[in-house]
Amino acid sequence: MLNQQERERYDRQIMIEAIGEKGQEKLQQAKVLIAGVGGLGSPIAIYLAAAGIGFLRIVDQDVVDRSNLNRQVLHWEEDLQRPKVVSAVEKLKKLNPNIAVEALRQTITADNIADLASGMDAIVDAMDNLPIRYLLNRQAIRNNIPFFHGAVRGFEGRAMTVVPGKSACLRCMYRGDIPKEKFPVIGTAPAVIGSIQATEVIKYLVGIETLLTNRLLVYDGLNMSFTEFKINKNPDCDHCGHLK
Amino acid sequence: MGVQVYFHATLRKWVQDQEWVEVTGNTVGQCFNQLVQQYPGLKEKLFDKKGKIHNLVEIYVNQESAYPDELAKVVKDGDKIQVTLLLSGG
Repeated sequence: MLNQQERERYDRQIMIEAIGEKGQEKLQQAKVLIAGVGGLGSPIAIYLAAAGIGFLRIVDQDVVDRSNLNRQVLHWEEDLQRPKVVSAVEKLKKLNPNIAVEALRQTITADNIADLASGMDAIVDAMDNLPIRYLLNRQAIRNNIPFFHGAVRGFEGRAMTVVPGKSACLRCMYRGDIPKEKFPVIGTAPAVIGSIQATEVIKYLVGIETLLTNRLLVYDGLNMSFTEFKINKNPDCDHCGHLK
Repeated sequence: MGVQVYFHATLRKWVQDQEWVEVTGNTVGQCFNQLVQQYPGLKEKLFDKKGKIHNLVEIYVNQESAYPDELAKVVKDGDKIQVTLLLSGG
């Protein structure tokens, strides 16, 4: 049940027919893992906190570096060298004191991913490398919870939603790893993509079924265009092929 | 009329800055063979030394993923092949 203060806080989104008070209560009860709190993780965490997701678990090993500040908007000049999860929790608690935010300063590995995802209703990809994305994708499939993929480079980005058993997963479309790089990026690219991911999370949690499944949405900020590519479930996929 | 191959912006310099190139072929692989004959510099951008497509390279035919057997994917006149690059930044 929402109290009066929460009704006021979320009034504009409760007015949306597809959300309503029931949808808001679903958001309040939801638990979401945000893997990474950098360029993508910042807008994702901000908008999920503002929307009233009841419990956010944010995981990131890094400390704030000056070169992060062009895009990682949860972290400010005063946060340099502080753990990103500590910096993030402070801001998110101030933004919305009615939600719980758990900060875990950890590297996501094959050994801890099951614990990190335990009890979560969704996993959001805000990582900067493919190997950990694959770990997240596989764990989401094991837990039968959705995985919200996003990635950026330069003025570009992409997003796709994975619903295990129902749609193609990240592994259905990618073959392996790519060389790690110091990637160029303008801050608005993760802002666009992170906002799309957060939108998908909110839609899923309130029960809206028109998700970005089996569709890779590609954003090109230089041409200011969006392109949609159809992604097919791979029956031989080593992550989700066993789900018919 | 042939098959139009569209390139991600960062690959265009290997095809004389063209957005797309028209080729002929019955599969993506045949189209690519013709492409790299025409533009030899493109070969190492698309394939590794064993002739396998780089992990970084993504291929779509008429906006549908051609993965995992991209080179065997059948195409016909009028089709569009989109060659783009995987992103992994966050």
